[in-house]
Amino acid sequence: MRAVPRAPRIEGRGLLTLLLIGAVGLSALSVPWGGDLVHPGGGSAVGSIVKALARVELSPEFLRITAYAAWTTLRFAVAGVTLALAIGLPLGVVASGVLTRSGGRKTASIVVARFVLALLRSIHELVWAWLFVVAIGLSPMAVILALALPYAGILGRVFADALIDVPEEPLRALRSAGASEIKLLVYGRLTIALPDMLGYGFYRFECAIRSAAIFSFVGVQGLGYQIQLSLDDLLWNEVWTLLIALAALVLLVDAWSSQVRRRLVS
Amino acid sequence: MTHLADTPIIRVENAAKAYSGRLAIAPLSFTVAEGEKVAVLGPSGSGKTTLLHLTAGIIHPDSGTVELGGHATSELGAGEESASLVGAIHQQYDLVGHLSVVHNVLAGRLGRWGLLRSLWSLLSPQDLGLAEDALERVGLLERLYERTSRLSGGEQQRVAIARLLVQDPRVIVADEPVASLDPARARDLLILLSSVASDAGKTLVASLHSTELATEFFDRAIGLRDGLVVFDLPVMELDRGILDDLYHLEVAG
Amino acid sequence: MIAIRERRPATRPGLVRVSAIGFGLLAGLAWGQVLAGGDSGAGDLFRGDTWTRAGEFAGELLGLGAEGESAFVDGALWQNAIGLSVETLAMSVLAAGIAGAAALVSFLPAARNVAYGELGGSRRAVGVPGYMVLRLLFAFTRGVPELVWALIIVFVFSPGVLAGALALAVHNYGILGKLAAEVVENMDTRPARALRGAGANNFQMVLYGVLPQALPHLLTYLLYRWEVIIRTTVVVGFVAAGGLGREFRLQMSYLHYDEVALLLICYLALVIGVDLVSAGLRRLAR
Repeated sequence: MRAVPRAPRIEGRGLLTLLLIGAVGLSALSVPWGGDLVHPGGGSAVGSIVKALARVELSPEFLRITAYAAWTTLRFAVAGVTLALAIGLPLGVVASGVLTRSGGRKTASIVVARFVLALLRSIHELVWAWLFVVAIGLSPMAVILALALPYAGILGRVFADALIDVPEEPLRALRSAGASEIKLLVYGRLTIALPDMLGYGFYRFECAIRSAAIFSFVGVQGLGYQIQLSLDDLLWNEVWTLLIALAALVLLVDAWSSQVRRRLVS
Repeated sequence: MTHLADTPIIRVENAAKAYSGRLAIAPLSFTVAEGEKVAVLGPSGSGKTTLLHLTAGIIHPDSGTVELGGHATSELGAGEESASLVGAIHQQYDLVGHLSVVHNVLAGRLGRWGLLRSLWSLLSPQDLGLAEDALERVGLLERLYERTSRLSGGEQQRVAIARLLVQDPRVIVADEPVASLDPARARDLLILLSSVASDAGKTLVASLHSTELATEFFDRAIGLRDGLVVFDLPVMELDRGILDDLYHLEVAG
Repeated sequence: MIAIRERRPATRPGLVRVSAIGFGLLAGLAWGQVLAGGDSGAGDLFRGDTWTRAGEFAGELLGLGAEGESAFVDGALWQNAIGLSVETLAMSVLAAGIAGAAALVSFLPAARNVAYGELGGSRRAVGVPGYMVLRLLFAFTRGVPELVWALIIVFVFSPGVLAGALALAVHNYGILGKLAAEVVENMDTRPARALRGAGANNFQMVLYGVLPQALPHLLTYLLYRWEVIIRTTVVVGFVAAGGLGREFRLQMSYLHYDEVALLLICYLALVIGVDLVSAGLRRLAR
């Protein structure tokens, strides 16, 4: 008889899939299935929503409003992301520990920086927004800060990891060429890690546009504010225009981002 | 063993293939009888891979015909008919690294299995006995359930041969099967490939870099250069002069 | 004959440089408008009474100086909050499940190499338009934020866990679909094409050659998205009235800041918990 190995029982991934399906099933149980799950007017609402797609609002006046709202949203997104970079980059560098020599102080600074970053990003931007609005009132800075802080946390962490993940060989070459200045090391790491960091930065920019749109619901001008106005009046054709503008804005940034990254990589 | 001794299993007639305006294979013709072992030799860029892919029906000629077992390759679709006629093995990347060895070997049955059976086999391997026999033949039975990417290059090539055993085609086409292996493993692999072919009377067409291996394991050698057949001889008749003509570097100017 | 290799075009830093300048301009304009407008609030940050107000607010969060009992010692409130946390967790799992399932059935035709028949099969006429429609669908669903989807969905579905889960699912479907399609596009397709030699048809090629590599990635992405989803459920619940989000809204309107802080703690616990579980599950998926 030849020795045939035994078939393995369900391994890690199969178990995982079963677990997940089970979890989803369990969650479905918490939904109060039944008659009043759908609104009484729900069916007709779907109808009017879909029909409005054919009559998307394209009047020049409304398009002007849409364009201005889009520009406002873009402005807030840019301001938020730049502030996030200003906060997150330094924190990220400290959290990666590439600038400090090993020792107690290094560990301490890394831990503190990572903790701050984690705290910043654990709180959702809208929660931050609420905190700021209550503390300093409704104003552009409140919104920008609410965007910048969690994004700083996210960007800082990603940057820290990217700096650490740079392979040793090119750095060794720099070091032996006399770049004992740790700062030069940072520049070495930065140039190598740049495409990935830039890629992620652009992705965050894309998210920032969405976040800025949401913030504008709070009352600061922007696409979200306009969507709320049109929704209140049930003007679905206007809602479609605004949604398309929002999606287009996000898509543009996405396309811009992939183009830049492609040029950097080649 | 051969019913109609004069019907070749492979017939290539005036087949040509061009890529982006450049002729990879000039119109050429040859035949291969069932059970023959043919080595295709030639320098890089001579069109060996294209010729082998044409022979295996992976690509179709732009003009002329390639026939396998009497059927034109352009008419052979996927499925049982083509699977039982011809199978291929390459230098690398034939196997799906993420799957375990047993599934890669049983993939040789895909031509004969329906979709549902193929799907079910991923959960509970079908025709397991075939896979076991094949792996035993190539000496890797104990790796049956391992993830294929964990095997070494030489072992993976042997798994690819096991897949061919399960598929059981009449013709085996091998494109540089040993180019990634060191000389000792290369010899071992060709011993295996050659005996697998001989045991079942299969036809073997392989491209090689090494003329020593060609003379040791094959009956016939076709020399290819710039898409043209330079020679088509029994392996015993190869000599220094002929080989030099085949491989010499063209001096510019 | 020796094929003449085309000269690789010299890297054109043009686009990168232009982009950098362009972005700098944008930033300048954005901040200019913020700081030039008198009511930007930037000045407010540095006013003395802003900080006192902030301090008071922090105090209120901790339940100091409020009439009656601090929320932190009220057992019933904790129980309620925990129940809502479970509901929020369920919403997140449901959302991830729906998004994942929908992405699973639609990511293959959305991959360029599959749709264009580059895998070696015949190029099917239905492939290319299907690819474009799906990519547009992904772009649209992910371009619109979850909150906006939630606002729209409550016109159809009654506010609750399902409405929130659907809003989250629609948005994340676009994200997952795009990521999964890109995995297939970046894949080494030679093993899949080699299966053709064994007589496999298109379906079998995909089943044995594409899915084994793509599915683990999809799973990992799903788990990463789950971490994002749990953070957003609170926000969506605000609008779609489910879980912690609904309670947030309520307590904020009552100005019960210490109860809000209690809910915030539950929220943080959920987020950290999901992050841990997700990391653990991702290790299983290797």
